[in-house]
Amino acid sequence: MIECRRAAVSRNANPDMTASNDRTASNEADRQLVERIRHREENAWRELISRFEGRLLAFVESRLRDRTTSEDIVQDTFVGFLNSLPNYDWRRPLESYLFSICAYKLTDHLRREGRRPSIPFSAGSNSSGEWGLPDSAARAASSIARSGEQQRLEEKALVDAIREQIQRWRERGEWIKLQCQELLFVRGWANKDVATQLAISEQQVANFKFDFIARMSSAVRKQGLNSDIFPELYPTE
Amino acid sequence: MPRIFTELELEAYLDEALAPAQMTEIEEAVRNDPRLVQQLSTLNARRDAGVHSLGEIWRRHRLSCATREQLGSLLLGVLTPEFAEYFRFHIDVVGCRYCYANLADLQRQQREAASSTTTRRTRYFQSSAGMLREKR
Repeated sequence: MIECRRAAVSRNANPDMTASNDRTASNEADRQLVERIRHREENAWRELISRFEGRLLAFVESRLRDRTTSEDIVQDTFVGFLNSLPNYDWRRPLESYLFSICAYKLTDHLRREGRRPSIPFSAGSNSSGEWGLPDSAARAASSIARSGEQQRLEEKALVDAIREQIQRWRERGEWIKLQCQELLFVRGWANKDVATQLAISEQQVANFKFDFIARMSSAVRKQGLNSDIFPELYPTE
Repeated sequence: MPRIFTELELEAYLDEALAPAQMTEIEEAVRNDPRLVQQLSTLNARRDAGVHSLGEIWRRHRLSCATREQLGSLLLGVLTPEFAEYFRFHIDVVGCRYCYANLADLQRQQREAASSTTTRRTRYFQSSAGMLREKR
């Protein structure tokens, strides 16, 4: 209850503004915590475990429904975090980083158990050994190869554009548009299933989708980025 | 007839980002269908080449996720109704595993806190109720 109360924000506050401030404060607190762990402070390590073990355990247990195995995976996650600490990138939120290690450990466990088949990288079909992209925007890997830093810049452009759009929908109370895009792009539902879920017509879903893609394409173009690397945004090109 | 999964669903599967029931459904399908393995393999390779997917970026940066503070407000019932309804949708329909895990953790803490409150009150009562009886 204590953390729940501490975590709660006032009903009168703008939840988006408050969330933004919370994220900034939380990132700074996380940065200091990780810095203390880098200096081998045991209390800091204990604090990190106390703060995150509950949510990591809930994440794994929701999938495995096995408490003991879930606890083992969370334990492996913390060990994995310590091992990867020298490479930890400050730009990445600590919680997301821990969840990604945890998801990796969980996937690894499922593979060992034979539940989750291993997925090899595509060997491709041509004799040169280069694989191809399967859609209309297909390009050989070598034609779009670029630096990690460039990829981060491209990703950031899209992140900023999506974040701004979500903020706009929330401010205008256009929740249905947000829900529609989330089901389409995050869950990968087909238009007709989204229409049924949200009790709107398929035409409305198509219109919302078209509008969203147009806005994202425009944002990417403004940054002068190569459209080959965003095939969803240029389906007809 | 087996269900056909969209490419975006398969991407979310690779990210271990679908709700547990959907993860299990795709896992079973992949075990029985070599074409799905090939499809997943192609997706993996495309990502490795640095092709961006909107859904992947949205998920990775958790662009529509609630903060821990917002989830705390949701549990206490002090979040604005529109945000509360939206986050319920985000967790229950979209099946966000990260928000679900945070919410479950906060609920557990709430339960444990309530349980320790009951224990504490019982202890106060047991240690003092005898005195009440003596004073009759």
